[in-house]
Amino acid sequence: MRIAIAGKGGTGKTTIAGTLARLMARRGREVWAIDADSNPNLAVTLGVPRDTHADLTPVPRSILQTDPADADGKRKILSVPASDVVQRFGHSAPDNVKLLLMGRVDHAGAG
Amino acid sequence: MCGAHAAVRHLIGGILEDRQHVTIIDMEAGVEHLSRGTGRHVDTLLVTLEPYYKALETSRRCAELGRELNIPHVLGIGNKVRDAADAEAVQGFAAAHGIPLIGSIPFDDAVRRADLAGTPLVDAPANAAVFEIDRLAGFLLAN
Repeated sequence: MRIAIAGKGGTGKTTIAGTLARLMARRGREVWAIDADSNPNLAVTLGVPRDTHADLTPVPRSILQTDPADADGKRKILSVPASDVVQRFGHSAPDNVKLLLMGRVDHAGAG
Repeated sequence: MCGAHAAVRHLIGGILEDRQHVTIIDMEAGVEHLSRGTGRHVDTLLVTLEPYYKALETSRRCAELGRELNIPHVLGIGNKVRDAADAEAVQGFAAAHGIPLIGSIPFDDAVRRADLAGTPLVDAPANAAVFEIDRLAGFLLAN
């Protein structure tokens, strides 16, 4: 199951995402939470210990490689399985939720 | 296409190739990320429906884009619903725009207190907002 939560800023996306992640994990599912917001604060809602927030690093772009199946060479794929990415770069939250940070995005020239 | 956005999209896409886990993505505010295709790899798009005009309009555009991207399930969740009039506004908007409403999270002071303290809502004493989100968790996992 792959769920994205969208809507206007301030309408509770992060609160819903973090709370849903924890509660689904309590129902026995392995949950990965991805913070794709350019102003990430899912860690707070998930309850990642605050003294570790300074150490929360995003998933490095270096794990992407060019998809050999793409003739144009533009499509990128992970160079390792997703579960390895989570194991190496996921941050632990209560109820065994794993948090992945996508990193801040430079909006200059975006789009 | 901005390179940073493309990289994030590729990262998310790669991680979402794994279908054994539940993956929940807290998206960037607004609709731009969806139109760039970040939402292409998900099977469920939840749009928040907070009962005020600008928020509902943004959610409507998110839902439309989600359907254009062929996301199998585009669903609405009411949030910060204070009273019967709010509930009616959310239900009416969802119905008018064909967005299946799977729940409505009541306005709850526990949310404000958790935001203020920087603590997880889910760890706060029992409250109506968490009760409804837990019901939604059960619904989503069962469907």
